[in-house]
Amino acid sequence: MRAWIAFAALVWAGWLAPMSVAGAADMPVHTLTFKADGTFEPARLEVQAGRFKIVLVNESTEAVEFESLPLRKEKVLGPGVTSFVVLSLSRPGEYPFFDDFHPQVKGTLVVLPKP
Amino acid sequence: MEQVAFIVWRESVEALLVVGILYSWLRASPEGRRGLPWLWGGVGAGLLLAGALALVLLGISSWLSDQGQEWFQALMALAACGLVVQMVVWMRAHGRGLKRELESGASERVGDDHWWGLLALVMIAVAREGSETVVFLYGTVLSSQASGDVGAMALAGAGGFSAALLTFWLLQLGGRIITWRRFFKLTEILLLLLAGALLVSATDRLISLDVLPTLMDPVWDTSWLLGTESGLGKILADFAGYRAYPALSQLLIWLAYWCVVAWMLRRASRAAVPAASGRAKAPVAA
Repeated sequence: MRAWIAFAALVWAGWLAPMSVAGAADMPVHTLTFKADGTFEPARLEVQAGRFKIVLVNESTEAVEFESLPLRKEKVLGPGVTSFVVLSLSRPGEYPFFDDFHPQVKGTLVVLPKP
Repeated sequence: MEQVAFIVWRESVEALLVVGILYSWLRASPEGRRGLPWLWGGVGAGLLLAGALALVLLGISSWLSDQGQEWFQALMALAACGLVVQMVVWMRAHGRGLKRELESGASERVGDDHWWGLLALVMIAVAREGSETVVFLYGTVLSSQASGDVGAMALAGAGGFSAALLTFWLLQLGGRIITWRRFFKLTEILLLLLAGALLVSATDRLISLDVLPTLMDPVWDTSWLLGTESGLGKILADFAGYRAYPALSQLLIWLAYWCVVAWMLRRASRAAVPAASGRAKAPVAA
């Protein structure tokens, strides 16, 4: 029974917790598109170090999964779905990402040092 | 085509590993057999939850927001980690003396509470990977409708799931070939590694939710040696929590996890000693 109470708390927390997190106000927004022909647009996404948002658009007719362990992100998108990830990166460098449902589709996030 | 089969296999294996190990373990003792309905109940509940999560991922339903999904995934991983550890510790403490406890009537204490934990664990394991499989297959079938090879794609998906079932069966076979004691040890290690990986994936999500500070990010960069995109690095990442760029807080949590687990197992073994010594007088088939 305890397990059920724990599970109920889990659902409840999943529901309410986002409300306590401050809204993502004025941070740079970039867009990454999963094209219908099975490529990323752009394949090299350049951003400035700091906190930013990447809008993920799945234009293909298949499900895709944006995944990158270096970026600590994993996001499944059904066909035609748009979603986003918020990243906070202070270390300039190149971070690879790929589509876990189509592992040959790869891209790179390039984090540039702050000016 | 092979890719569809491979991805379905990969997504199903984690859940089947948990279900398979618990199934072998439950089947091995008369007391454990009583838990089998809870195991299958967990599979059923997990499939339902997977369907509900898949609707969110497909954008059909929005009962969870984007951040809500992130929290839900993080909490599911944490809950699964805790339940796996609890299960392993419980197996260590009760596994050997279970039959005797049953005979002496002492197993009344092994009540429903424990079985509910088992059900929740199986449910989470199935739901976590199941939702992604559902979305993946849905997309694959939908897009193959256009090109007209739905049958081939469905077949590939079924092939992947059959391969996963074959893996499950091999695991069962493994339990028969090697001695029960060794199987028990091996599955214990596998489950604890998996729980560690779940914990690390939860910290990934908590860091990106800005709940957990990184302290130092990254502590090292071993991507040149062993990347996590494919091959061995990916397997180690999925099943043992390896990271090429770990944050200091992740590393500390991972180390703390193994210290706590080692301590709990030592304590559980010590508690199991009276039962074991009682049994030592009579020869018991292992």
